[in-house]
This record gives sequence, structure tokens and C-alpha cells, in this order.
Amino acid sequence: MIGLYVLGAMLLFGAFKILRGIYYIRKAKRLEAEVAALEGRTVASDSRTAAAKAEQKAREAAAVVALGFVAEEDLDTDNALPVPPERKAALDAVRAGDWEAGAAYVEACGTDWEERWQRVRALAEVAAEDDAWLLAWRAARPADPSAALVNADTGVLVAWNVRGSARASHTTQEQFRIFHELLAKAQEQAWEAQRLADPADPVPYMVEQSVSLGLGYPHEQYRRLWSQITKRDPKNLSAHTNAMQYWSQKWRGSHERALAFARECAAGAEPGELLSALPLIAYVEQELHESDLEPETFFKEPEVAAAVDAALVDLAAADPDDWRTVRLRHLLAWFLFWQDRDAEAVEQFRHIDGHIGAMPWYYWPKSRYVHARDWAVRVVTPGMEP
Amino acid sequence: MGASLRAVRALVLLAGFYLLGVILLAALVGIDFAVVTKLHGPVAFKIIIVSVVLAVPIVRGLFMLRTPKGEPPAGVTVTEAQEPVLWQTVREVAQQVGTRAPDEIVLIDEVNAAVAEDARLLGLRPGTRRLYLGLPLMTGLDEMQLRAVLAHEMGHYANFDTRLTPLIARGRAQLIRTIGHFHERADNKVAKERARQEKRDEKRLAKGKDAKGVDTAGQGATYRAMAKIYMAYGNFYMRATHTAGRRQELAADLASVRVAGRDSAASALRELNALDSAHGFYMSSYATLGVGAGLLPRPGEVFGGLRKLLDARAEELDGLRRDLSTEPVSPYDSHPPLAERVARIEALPDDGRAGQSARPALELLTDAGAALAALEQAVLTPEALGLRRMDWEDLVHESMTRYVGQGAQEIRETFAAEGAGPGLPALLDAVDADPAVRWRIADRFPKSEEAAAATGRTAREFARPVVRRALNQLVTVELTGRGQARWQLSWSDSAALHYPSEGFEEQLRLALDAVVADVPDTEPLRKLVLAP
Repeated sequence: MIGLYVLGAMLLFGAFKILRGIYYIRKAKRLEAEVAALEGRTVASDSRTAAAKAEQKAREAAAVVALGFVAEEDLDTDNALPVPPERKAALDAVRAGDWEAGAAYVEACGTDWEERWQRVRALAEVAAEDDAWLLAWRAARPADPSAALVNADTGVLVAWNVRGSARASHTTQEQFRIFHELLAKAQEQAWEAQRLADPADPVPYMVEQSVSLGLGYPHEQYRRLWSQITKRDPKNLSAHTNAMQYWSQKWRGSHERALAFARECAAGAEPGELLSALPLIAYVEQELHESDLEPETFFKEPEVAAAVDAALVDLAAADPDDWRTVRLRHLLAWFLFWQDRDAEAVEQFRHIDGHIGAMPWYYWPKSRYVHARDWAVRVVTPGMEP
Repeated sequence: MGASLRAVRALVLLAGFYLLGVILLAALVGIDFAVVTKLHGPVAFKIIIVSVVLAVPIVRGLFMLRTPKGEPPAGVTVTEAQEPVLWQTVREVAQQVGTRAPDEIVLIDEVNAAVAEDARLLGLRPGTRRLYLGLPLMTGLDEMQLRAVLAHEMGHYANFDTRLTPLIARGRAQLIRTIGHFHERADNKVAKERARQEKRDEKRLAKGKDAKGVDTAGQGATYRAMAKIYMAYGNFYMRATHTAGRRQELAADLASVRVAGRDSAASALRELNALDSAHGFYMSSYATLGVGAGLLPRPGEVFGGLRKLLDARAEELDGLRRDLSTEPVSPYDSHPPLAERVARIEALPDDGRAGQSARPALELLTDAGAALAALEQAVLTPEALGLRRMDWEDLVHESMTRYVGQGAQEIRETFAAEGAGPGLPALLDAVDADPAVRWRIADRFPKSEEAAAATGRTAREFARPVVRRALNQLVTVELTGRGQARWQLSWSDSAALHYPSEGFEEQLRLALDAVVADVPDTEPLRKLVLAP
């Protein structure tokens, strides 16, 4: 009898345990479902807020575009200014294999060395991708100085393509080895171009400037190269901006050397020769390199403000049809924006808008340009909130 | 601390280990007793089961009295009749240090000298003493340096160190093993639990539910706790014996200074540092270079070639002699860092024995060549002994030719797959017919991520060195096959291809460049390599 009671009690106890278990499992499921629902609501509300913000931003951006500025997605990040139609035609022709069109295009600018440099670089960029036409050109005219120039400049570009833009720690030994081999080859090609060139032509030496960065020319060697350039074309803007890279801290110089070089060149130039861009480049590079520099304070310092004022005077004296003024305007827009001279900044933005493949914008995603431009535009436009 | 005091301490420390076991067992029994008298039913039963399970490794630790016998190093035992001078030297050193000479000398294949003694009665009574002496060690030392090393080892005998060492070692081994048992059991338990939970997850997944994941934290915690008790004692044990160990090493160093002179003692230690790496490098890059091709150097040279390497790379080795490690070998090694030992010796006053002339240590042997050859028989595997023997020069040429040929086989197949093969002439014809075949060939070789992502001329620049390397390898095979080039052994550098004439290498460089140039020219290479 007692045995039965005990058995009954055990059964009851077991049944209780099982029922309790089932109850808890159900309760847990209910709670889980509630949690999921709550999470869903949070996500929905977050996305609503995000959507509202995005809409607000889009409205603001559209308002700026409505004032005649280019929308972010339409900005051209490859060029500093619109590509002239004859250049586009020449590049299309060589891509189709017509090297003679390329040769004629380079020859057409004669002794405008700045222009010659630009045209050579444009062709080299095409050749770095596909150089069948260049090989044909070289085969047909082995002593053509322009072909030798394009060949050398292509060598530099390809070397950099192999190297990639990652930091040294993310660059493989294979990349470094080939990079250095190609640069050494490009150096010889640059020397070959120098031998073949018109003795007055500084461009083969400007190509060697690009080689000098990667090979790390010692200062003495670089100064010799620089004198080869300046005795042929003392005020060449691109040669000067190339040299600014060499003297910058990230290559073979320092902030001090870069600024000293920039000031010396700017001081030796006449208004309108646009070399006032060099100190601005020195400041951009310094601010980029020093993480503890804040642009809103650094770019407002008296010496920077003075450099900007000098650049504005230089710009005013320059030939308005000179395309090189655009390069200075790109820099000025950036500095004027930080100096809260928004009306002057907007004037520069009006000139440069649409094509932002230029210093300083090419260091960043285009949103940075759009932010600066839109900010300045909103500040100076009545009825808009900055 | 005298030798007898050290013996007492070693005994006490070992006794401490047994005492620890007994105390733990007693504690478990006490708990069980309390449980049995105060509690009844399944709970009490479970507690008793747990205590029994915990007791097992303790008991095992207690009764494993014998230290595991390490495999003695393989070698050649030499009698006094066979090597009278060596024995004489060893006896002299033993006498100078003030201890009994070893009963046996075994020549081994390491950069090492060691003494061992089968001590009896917990190390209180002497047993057979054995001196293990490495021929590679003797290869690198002169007689006085060898005497210094021997005196160091004998110095341990003189201080009864070797007789006590088994005692200390036994205590240490016991502790480590007992801790190991607990960890092993804990790990087993974790593994079982993991397996169980993984099975559960699998079932859940099979039923279409989310896996809960595996969590085994807390499993085997009791075992780990027990191991911790032993580890704490182990640390105490190590600390207590370690400083004494280091003192003994320094005392042994002083013995070697007395016997061999300050400068020989110091230079012997410096030499050891260099010899160790040199021997390792020699064995992997020279002695066994031909093994993949089924070749070994001549009898006696497998270990004997080291001398040639030491002579040829004297400058490189000087660096190793100069820069000694300041790090101890391991936390359980009683040797102080080498730099410290050498510094202590070199700080001693000049004993006027600098610059004593001494013959190479190997000359202590009746016939060093025969001893080196006999050692091979004792330590090499039967497979190794079955390999073909060759002079060094031929060995290097034959094995390099074989290896390059093996690599070239794959290259030929790759070229042939693009219709450019299998031989060099067919490849050059194919390049002449269609220069782009080179880049297609390069595509068939493994590529880095960057090379794979490259396009246009950049891709070509990645491909160019690949094709050039492969081509160079085929050229090497062609030239060695024609007997025009030969792999040259160098004791101071890696093996290099020796070309038929002065300036050939430069011509070959230009010819290879011409084949992989944008506009290829195969003529120079044909003239250079394929011309009859």
C-alpha cells in the first residue's frame, strides 16, 4: 500500500515537473517573440530617422545644384578642368591604334612646354593601359623625341601601377622589386628622351622629376636636375608643382624645405605667373601630414592668410584665358572656405565646379569637395541655412 | 651550500611532494568520513565517488617513483685502447677538477658534451658515469677549448651535482607528471562535454533550430584546482633548486677556467654559440643537400664537412661568437644566459695563459676520419646509409641538376600547354611566331593577388619576370645537359651555376631580356645557348 502511495506521489511529482517545464518553454517563446517585435520596431524607427535625414540632405544638395552647381554624382574626378575636344579626339585616335594622331597632337603645341608636358602625360596615361600604338610609334620612328618622352613617362606610370598606392607594409616584395626595376628602366628612358630632345625642351627633365621621387634622388642630384629644367623654362608651373612633391616631407624633403622652396619661387615670380600657388601647396601638404593640425585654425594663421592674399593678387594679374589659373583657383577655394571668406570661396567654386581632379581634392573622396562648396554656397545665399 | 646540504634539501623537497599527496589524500578521506556520518543517500554517494576519482591521480603520482628513462643518445662507445689520447685527456681533466673519470666515453653527433650517471639509491650512491662527446663539437674546438668544456662537465661531478641531479630531476618529473594527469583528465572531461553539446547542436540543427553553441567553461574545474595546488608547489620547487643550479653552473665554469685558462674557457663558450647554428645550417644545407636526389657525401664527410664550412665562413661566424644571447635558454634551464657566463669569465684577472697554442680537438682521436665514418654507421638510418656516396663537388652538381630538372619539367609542361614546347628551341620558335604567347604562358603560372588584378601594360610587367625566370630555368637545364655549365659548390655561399666562359653570364642576362622585351628578339639566346 505504501509502495503505491509512493509510486503515486512520484508520478504526480513527475507530471508536475513536466507540466512546469512546458509552461516555462512557452513563456520563453512568448518573451522571445516580444523581444523580436521590439527590435523590429527599433530598426524601423532608426531607418525612418535615417531616411528623414537623407531626405533633408538630398533637399539641401538639390538646392545647391539648383543654383547652377554640379551634382555630386556628376563631378569629374579625373581632370582639373574640362578636357579640350582636340585632346579627346587625339586620345580616342591613339586608342584606336592611330599613333600618328597622337604624334601630331604633341607636336602641335610647339614650344609651349607646359602644354607639351600636359599632352605627353595624357598620352602616357592611355599607354599605361594599352601601349600597342606606342610600340608601333616607336618602331616606326625610333628617334622621335615625343615618342621617347611618352615612352619614359608611361614607364613611370606603370611602375606606380605595379607599386600600387597602399602603404609599404601592405605592398609585397614582388611589387617593390618590379617597381624599382621599372623605375630604373624609366630613368634610362628619360635619359634617352633627353638625348633625343630639342635642347631647349625641359619636358624630358620633368619626366625625370617623377622618376626622382620613386628612386629617392639625393638632394644634390635633384638640384642638378632642377637646374636643367629652370635654365630651359624658369617659370614652368608644373615643373614647380612637381618639385614641391620632391621637397615635401612625404618624399625627400621636409615641411620647412618645402615652404622655403615655395616662398623663394613665389618671391622670384611676377604677378600673373601663378607661382603663388606653391606656398598654398606647402600648407596643404603640411596639414595633410600632421594629424594634430586643425585646418580651421592652421589655415587661419596670419602667414597662411597672407599667402592666400598674395595668391589672389597673382590670380587677378594673370591672363584670364590661361587654363593654369584653374589650378590656383582649386587651391584658393579650399583655403577661402576654411578662412570663412565664403563669398570669395564661392567665386572660385563657380570657376572650378564640375572637374575636381586637382590639388587638393584628389586626396579625398568627392564628398569633401561637395561639403566645402555647399557650405560656402549656403552661407552666401540668402534664405539658406549653412 | 655544501654538497651534503644540497642533498638534504633535495630530499626534503622530494619528500614534500609525497607529503603533499598524503595530505591531500587525508583531506579527501576526512571529507568522505564526515559525509558518511552526517549525510545519507545519493548525495553522500556522489561526493564519495568524486573524492575517489580525485584520489586516483594523486595515488598515481605517489607511486610513480621511477623517473622515465630518456633514450640515451645514439653514438659510438670508444675504449681506452681505441682512443688512448682522448681517454688520457679526459682523465687529466677529471684529476684536475678533482673527480673520478667517466667509465665510458660515447661519441655522438651533436654540438654538445654531457655527463650522465646511473646513480643508485636515490642518487646517494655512485653508478656508471658516461661522457657523451659530440664530434661536431670537437670539430669546432681546439684542444684547450675542449678541455674547458670537459672541465665544466666534470665540475658537476666534483660537486656531486650529477649524483644529485637524478634526485632533483625525479622530483621535478613527478610534479610535472602529476599536474599533467590532472590537466589531462580535465581536458578529457571538457572534450566529452564538448562532444555532447556538439551532438545536441547537431540535433537541433537537424530539426531546423538554431544551434546553442558550445560552452564548456567550468567543466573539469575540480581537476584544474588540484593541478593548481601541485603547480604552486612546483613553482616553489623550481625556485628552490634553480638558484642553486645556476650557482653550480658558474662554479663549473670556474673549474674550466682553472683547467684550460681564462681565455680558452671564454672562447669555448663563444665558439659553442657559433657552432650550434653553423652545425644546424651545415646539416640542412650541405650534408643533406643531396638526399632528395638519393645522394650523400663520402663516408666520414656527412659530419666531417662541417670543418670546411667553419673555415670558409669564419667571418660570418665571428658575429655569432661576438653577439651572445642574454636570454636564458628556457625558464627551466639551470644554465645562466651565455652572455652572463662569458662576461663573468672574461672579468677574471689575466692568468697569463692567453695565446697558448693548441691543436684541433679532433687530433686527440687516433683517426678522426674513421671516427666520423663510424659515427655515421651508428646514427644514420639504414635508408640513409643506403644512399649513393659522392664527392662534394659532384654531389652538389648532381643534386642541383636533379632539382632544377624536376622544376623544369613542370615549366616545360606549362609551355607545352600553350603550344610552346616542350624544348627550348620550340619555345623560342613559338615566341617568334606570336610574341603574345609569353603573356599567356605567364597566366598559367601561379599569380599574386596584385598581378591577377593588373591590366594592360601593368599586367605585362608583372608577367615579364615570371616568363624570364621560367626561361632561365630551361636554359640552365639545357646548359647543364650539354655539359656547358656546372653547379659549383661553395662553402661560403649558396651553390652557383658556373658558366662556360667569362662574360657569359652578362650575355645571358641580355639575351633573356631580349626574349621577354616588348618586341622580342630570340636570336641572342639561340646563338648563346643552342648553337652547336
